[in-house]
Amino acid sequence: MNIVVLLAIAAGLIALRFLKPNSLAWSSATWVAVYVFLRYGVVPPVPASVLTMFMFIITLSLAVYLTTTEDRLKEVSNAFVSFFTDKKYTIPLVVALIGLPFIVAFRVYQNLTQLPDPPVVGRTIHPPPPATITFKGRQVDLVDEDNPYRELETSDPTAFAEHVSNGRLVYYQNCVKCHGDNMVGDGLFARGFNPIPANFQDPTTIAMLQESYLFWRIAKGAPGLPVESTPWSSAMPAWETFLSEEDIWDVILFMYDFTDQRPRAKEVHE
Amino acid sequence: MRILACMMALVIPVFSVAAQNVDLGTDEQREAGRVVYEAKCAHCHGSDGVPRPTVASVFRPAPRNFTTGTFKFRTTASGELPTDEDIRNSIRNGMPYTAMPPWPSLSNADVTNLMYHIKTFSSDFSGPFGEVTALEMPSPPSMTDESIARGREVYETNQCSDCHGNRGLGDGPSAPTLEDRWGYPIRAADMTKRWTFRGGGTREDIYQTFTTGLDGSPMPSFEISPTEDQWALVDYVYSLSRDEPNYATMVTAHATTRTMDLSQESFADIEPAYFPVVGQIIEPGRAFFPGVNGVDVRAVYNDEHISIMLQWHDMAAETSGSNAPDLIAPGALDADSDSTLVFSDAVAIQFPTVLSAGTEMPYFIFGDRKLSTDIWFADLAGSGARHYVGKGASNMSEEGPELDVSASFQEGEWTVIFRRARNEEAHIAFEEGTFVPIAFSIWDGFSRERGNKRGLTSWAYLYMDVAVKESPVLPMMAYGFATLLLGLVVTFVTRKKVHGARASSDDKRGEEA
Repeated sequence: MNIVVLLAIAAGLIALRFLKPNSLAWSSATWVAVYVFLRYGVVPPVPASVLTMFMFIITLSLAVYLTTTEDRLKEVSNAFVSFFTDKKYTIPLVVALIGLPFIVAFRVYQNLTQLPDPPVVGRTIHPPPPATITFKGRQVDLVDEDNPYRELETSDPTAFAEHVSNGRLVYYQNCVKCHGDNMVGDGLFARGFNPIPANFQDPTTIAMLQESYLFWRIAKGAPGLPVESTPWSSAMPAWETFLSEEDIWDVILFMYDFTDQRPRAKEVHE
Repeated sequence: MRILACMMALVIPVFSVAAQNVDLGTDEQREAGRVVYEAKCAHCHGSDGVPRPTVASVFRPAPRNFTTGTFKFRTTASGELPTDEDIRNSIRNGMPYTAMPPWPSLSNADVTNLMYHIKTFSSDFSGPFGEVTALEMPSPPSMTDESIARGREVYETNQCSDCHGNRGLGDGPSAPTLEDRWGYPIRAADMTKRWTFRGGGTREDIYQTFTTGLDGSPMPSFEISPTEDQWALVDYVYSLSRDEPNYATMVTAHATTRTMDLSQESFADIEPAYFPVVGQIIEPGRAFFPGVNGVDVRAVYNDEHISIMLQWHDMAAETSGSNAPDLIAPGALDADSDSTLVFSDAVAIQFPTVLSAGTEMPYFIFGDRKLSTDIWFADLAGSGARHYVGKGASNMSEEGPELDVSASFQEGEWTVIFRRARNEEAHIAFEEGTFVPIAFSIWDGFSRERGNKRGLTSWAYLYMDVAVKESPVLPMMAYGFATLLLGLVVTFVTRKKVHGARASSDDKRGEEA
């Protein structure tokens, strides 16, 4: 969040309050304030589609606000009527009547001359995993099997630390180039790929997945994804080519350790 | 008594300044720094300040060895230790386009503690060399066309082009021989890509880099007088690059009626799309530090042909030996370990062999068993273009339609132009108004890249722009007039209603009176 923008918006709104604006002016100012905040005040930037959605909701709720009481409705309609009829507004009215068509024509020009956007392909981020996978000839049961070294966390902390430390080595030799030193998916090669590498610090990634799910994603990589997750464009390698089963479980331990997150627990099957 | 007080007043500030210069922090600060270092830094730089060989081997430039007291980014004279603030800045800002990221997540206290811990690796910090003073940076004059022109002269007199090349592409005659003081190969900066400057790309950053030098690298410090000439050189270097890389996700193929003769003239007046090139680290034979980091692409088409021009920077053209997309790369099983083999520069453009009806595409690394890719390949040793069909990185065959190619290397830049007939049976058709997935691969022979060891891009789009565009004038006028009409109607109706209401209320008032 950009504090400077937030403070500027707050200052603007407070200053406007002293001018005792009517409901319409106040609502318009609110609309502008929300837009400025979402457009310039949020880091990282809000995607254009989300911005449009938010502004649609804001517009709708302001319209509801303005029309809930008779007084407010009257205030609003009077403001419009006086703009169209009062002598003192003649010049702004003429300017608006002539200016608006030009703005519309310019938008039409922009729309017709700009290049079309490339097709957008929808993509499922966390597809349901298969029940079992074959890892170097061995059947791995993704439903019931869990990280075999997780239990060491309580039973043998020293051995556990060794596994985490091996996972660290695996991470820095293999994963850091894309997923980055902070595990936020901003590694050296991240800029070259679309979709971008996963951000493990994000609470919606590894924190809501089971360790066996991560094992599947690491072992089988992009080529193991179902069609709805666009396996052809993801750059996630199938690490079964390079890593042993133990290495993969170890790097999973390290990922949770480094990001201070816990894996989602296994459901208990009757 | 008074004299003593005066002396104290004189002495105390001097002492406190000296103490600040060799500030090594408290035990607690160094210990806190060690903890952060072990968690964040030790994987690459090593617990003892010596980079781990297993990690150093996959990074170029290699992580810095802290035990030698040699630091690249300083405000102090060449060969001196950095100031505390220099070390803190290097941690905070990182080094763009290297494995050293910026660390915005660390608090100021963490960064300071880390700095104290890093200072423990070299005894120089606690000795007489520990006292350093930052060089003063004169305030920059404004950048003008004259200062840029003067800067070019300064660039030539100081022989910057020996390493950085005549056009600044990092392609000088000495560039291929450069090594850092630990014997790792190192590249001269490409001055047309300011965003990759390790020490930052502002005018002040550039000034600092060349006046203090990059210790441990072949970049010396330059003493240039007068000061105006120093800033002129900065302005010249600054003028060679745009501000941002502006990475593209789409390149437009422009329609033309001209014949396509594989010359650069066909692409005149077309702005390139710049794609980031990163290492292929998925298939065995991985490229952890590819020789090329970006490629400029332009495309044109006429009724018969489509022509695509690729340009990228390379410090030297490797035109001896050979290359191919299906050579076995080093590191892979049964790779040829013969170090006398020579590999040439090479390039490839990739398309799906056919566009599938749905959204499905072939795997971006030379296709898969289900969907294959067309690979337009050129070995720049001069053997012309070859067409491959890829059904996976280890399943490629040389087949497909005829391709033409022309290639030239000039002053640190390769220019390669491919041409194919637009309609070929059983291969992708380049139809007007469509989006065609496109990807690129570049092999740098100097970095011994071949087969899977190469730089690549993921899928982007080639847009076949329509040849005849409708004029926007009519729709613009239609929408404009409709808006005007709407505005007039609303005004008219509102006025009429209000006047009517006023008239009737006047009537009422009249009646009441």
